[in-house]
Amino acid sequence: MFDEKDLVLEAKHVTRRFPASGGRQLLACNDVNLKMYKGKTLGLVGESGCGKSTFMRFLVGLDTPSEGEIWFRDMDITKLKGRAAWENHQHVQMVFQDPSTSFNPKMKIRDIVCEPLLNFGRIKASQKDGKARELLEMVELPGDFADRFPHNMSGGQRQRVAIARALALEPEIIVMDEATSALDVSVQDTVIQLITKLQREKNISIGFICHNLGLIQSFAHQIAVMYLGNIVEVMPGEGMAEKCCHPYSKALLDAVFDVKMDFSRKIEPIKGEAPSPLDVPVGCPFQDRCPHCMAACRETRPVLRELEPGHEVACHLFENGGAI
Amino acid sequence: MALLEISNVDISYGKNVTVKDSNITLEKGEICSIVGESGSGKTTVIRAVLGLLAGGGKVTAGDIVYEGRSLLTLNDKEWRALRGHDISMIFQDSGAMMNQTRLIGNTYVEYIRTHENISKKEAWNKGAEMLGRMRLPDPDRIMRSYPFQLSGGQRQRVGIAMGMTYQPRLLLADEPTSALDVTTQAQIVRQMMELRDEYGTSIIIVTHDLGVATYMADKIVVMKNGEIEEQGDRSYMLHESTNAYTKKLLDAVPSLGGKRYV
Repeated sequence: MFDEKDLVLEAKHVTRRFPASGGRQLLACNDVNLKMYKGKTLGLVGESGCGKSTFMRFLVGLDTPSEGEIWFRDMDITKLKGRAAWENHQHVQMVFQDPSTSFNPKMKIRDIVCEPLLNFGRIKASQKDGKARELLEMVELPGDFADRFPHNMSGGQRQRVAIARALALEPEIIVMDEATSALDVSVQDTVIQLITKLQREKNISIGFICHNLGLIQSFAHQIAVMYLGNIVEVMPGEGMAEKCCHPYSKALLDAVFDVKMDFSRKIEPIKGEAPSPLDVPVGCPFQDRCPHCMAACRETRPVLRELEPGHEVACHLFENGGAI
Repeated sequence: MALLEISNVDISYGKNVTVKDSNITLEKGEICSIVGESGSGKTTVIRAVLGLLAGGGKVTAGDIVYEGRSLLTLNDKEWRALRGHDISMIFQDSGAMMNQTRLIGNTYVEYIRTHENISKKEAWNKGAEMLGRMRLPDPDRIMRSYPFQLSGGQRQRVGIAMGMTYQPRLLLADEPTSALDVTTQAQIVRQMMELRDEYGTSIIIVTHDLGVATYMADKIVVMKNGEIEEQGDRSYMLHESTNAYTKKLLDAVPSLGGKRYV
């Protein structure tokens, strides 16, 4: 499915524990193994609190895992410190969920988009005007917006500026944390089109966090479904709706409301809520909500197994290659 | 006679007319979705129905008639009897409408005793029973919790339980699922649909999620810049509408197995 020589980043056995009150530990990521490929999008899906943001924050260097390695440009970026970590920032950039809070309200758009370039000495202060205009036009905004402040722009325009800033350093990877969920559907649509167009032009890898499977399947090359800190399924983005087989992925699919769906279908949401990551059950993390829970699920945690190239699932139901 | 009739309503904040010439009619047991982008005035319309316009907003023209009675001329006492009893509202985050320093149970008891002359103990039991009916596990523990101790989905269910205590004839829901996860959203949507089936409650749901809006609605109202762009029943709006804006909104909804950009 993907060519191994295009491998850009590889996370191996990444685990993150946070200390909690009473000497307990909160397990945010449990043995996560993921790969990112050149020019491809990795979509990470899951409910709130499943650890998807925690994982992506490792890539940008906002946090370090308790165990495990993340290999990027022949370095384990989890071990980088000081200047090396700072240098690495120019290769991985981030777009945050809420564009109204991720900018300094006192800075003009020109300074916002050019700040990373000035930090790394890529341009001189005198080149700011031209560069800002060029970056804004790249994200299909008028170059005159350089004189505006963030609060003079709409949410969609601000998110475009955030994308322009992330792309300014021409990084290899961009991490987008729910980058479109604060936007209206029509605006969301145009921002996704822009992102995919820029990806094609510049061959960037994107890590996209999302909780809407309907949205992510429209532009991701591979999709990883996360539940309670565990990756439960990794699959190709194309034809995802037919291919997905983990009971949790199916539950997520069933919960998608779609204008083209069959309205007479009664929705059957999975019951209950995800258990607290403070006491993850022994065995399969999804056992208490799973309609197919068996004895084995309560005893051992299923590991990811390959069903076909590019499609892995962690579920006891598929242990012997069988299907539900 | 229609349950609710909003006719030619203008709503203004100071000199700014934010909602212009709106007409919506709602029959008993009907679910109506109001959709539109942020700032299109959809929330303003339903807040006007309940007389809850923020910051000095006023209905400056037209009339809102509920069961043959104009809502614009009610005094405070009449409003108190109507709100939370005949007409209820569910907000985006029900936890935020409750006092953070009081137990959910105490808030609930106060609400029940506003409408009914019963003892605190009876009110407490009635509240717990209602929470149980909304499928909240362990209602007594929820009654003894503070709003911040519950998850978003639980808080939203508490809000729905409170709103449904007196089986209102009209339920107004302002983005009731947009702060929730998809799985929890599906649970809440299903629960709201059951309210209609069980109690015949009419619902107006305001949402920017067209998927949820079309699934729930008998009738869809599309708003744009404070005006009703188009309205009609669901199948008309989905398949026959020729309005460019409606089509643009519907096309923008990501669809499973639909178009792919890569």
